[in-house]
Amino acid sequence: MDALRVENLRKSFPGFQLMNVSFAVEQGHVMGLIGRNGAGKTTVLKSLLNLVHPDSGRIEYWGTDISETGVGNLQRIGYAAGTNTYYKKKTLNDIVSVTRRFYSEWNDSAWEKFRRLFALDMSKRPEQLSEGMKVKFNLALALSHGAKILILDEPTSGLDPVSRNDVLEILLTLAHAGTSILFSTHIISDLEKCADDITYLRHGRIVFSGDEQGLTRSYVLAHGHCLSSGQRKLVVGHSLTKEGDAWLIPVPVIPEFPDHRISQPSLEEIMVNMEGDGHADTASV
Amino acid sequence: MLTLLLYKEYRLATPTITWFFLLFGIMTLLPGYPILMGPFFICFGIFQAFQYAREADDILYSVLLPIRKREVVTSKYLAVLGVQTMALFIIIAMTALRMSVLSTVSVYRRNVLMPANLTFVAFVFLMYAAFNVLFVGGYFRTAYNLGGPFLAFIVAALLIVATGETLHHIPGLAFLDALHGPGLISQAVLLILCLMTYVGMTLLSLKRSWSRFERLDI
Repeated sequence: MDALRVENLRKSFPGFQLMNVSFAVEQGHVMGLIGRNGAGKTTVLKSLLNLVHPDSGRIEYWGTDISETGVGNLQRIGYAAGTNTYYKKKTLNDIVSVTRRFYSEWNDSAWEKFRRLFALDMSKRPEQLSEGMKVKFNLALALSHGAKILILDEPTSGLDPVSRNDVLEILLTLAHAGTSILFSTHIISDLEKCADDITYLRHGRIVFSGDEQGLTRSYVLAHGHCLSSGQRKLVVGHSLTKEGDAWLIPVPVIPEFPDHRISQPSLEEIMVNMEGDGHADTASV
Repeated sequence: MLTLLLYKEYRLATPTITWFFLLFGIMTLLPGYPILMGPFFICFGIFQAFQYAREADDILYSVLLPIRKREVVTSKYLAVLGVQTMALFIIIAMTALRMSVLSTVSVYRRNVLMPANLTFVAFVFLMYAAFNVLFVGGYFRTAYNLGGPFLAFIVAALLIVATGETLHHIPGLAFLDALHGPGLISQAVLLILCLMTYVGMTLLSLKRSWSRFERLDI
């Protein structure tokens, strides 16, 4: 059973629309939610937490619609939002001692483990923490109440490479133990390290949702300067590299680019090409 | 669960200054001063708690807890009622002092402003009711904007103070000024009416805030 299923989610704000967003997170899988700032990632995550009310669509946790899930389901959802911290003037000890009382599955030994791992000083206040330590504190809270699904908004932003690696390893360990994880990120290398699936949002629409390799195998980069008008119509993205222009094209149209050098793009290259000027008519040729 | 939320409100979302503002209940003892400003300042102390909570992202923290959204609203109201009740104890104690052992003190006898009696306590309830409806209820329109609702409360509070300070000078309403005698019975009726207004208006405000907050995008 899918831990989380989202179907045809729509939400309109002035100047922005989330259009028919659908994806599913399997139990024990890690899904990365990627897209540029303003693509709609946070709106999607907030909808999943009932913070934002979609105009239409369906969100299910373990087969039950979010509108029908009671407090019990909320016990099973862990959420952490990057460097966002609550009660900046209270000590970490104050915050934890209140938070733990709300969760029936709060695990003191798990909390202690993450506190030690992240070297959290409980006498400090969030306003005294570095951005990275704020992320760690939020994560430690989200990881300590036995959540069966973790929804994480930019969980690795602001972390140094070692801490980021620690966090990713924790996520992988939790996923192996059956926890589902959905996290948004700008750091594509994080996805390559731990995501089973990817959902790529662009301008409020899903570009791709599925197995990470499904995306990277769907496109190639064609390197070379000149494009015919026919070739231009086939290009889905463009970027300028040290070697010159790189054109992102779908795999089936490779035969249309016989004079170009073809290479396999990384996930980051796909995103950069799609999010760049994106069209051949604005390239350097 | 509500006890737990109330604990969260007081442990995390209420600054020390709100408790300090309870001391404005002692203003009831000030002679020659519009003593209804005391409960106004107590409400101002609660306003400070809302400001503090907003800066602390308290609403987001609360709605992410495994609780129903309406419980977030209820806990805010309970926290407000708790502070108002604590202040009320101080106000009632000071009022009792002025109505008994201090009633013959010359500075109080010469007082031309509203005296501390049952009428005063009745007006305290009106002040509280205005705060709960206009400020707390207004806050839950957005769960963010504090300025507009508090401005509305200030206007209402000044009207309540002006009314309280004026009524007892109107012929036929001198009983509102009484510290003893049969005037107290009429004052007691007024007190009960204002208490009922406070309870009723607060409940209505709570109910409206439940539905407003339920529809809010946070």
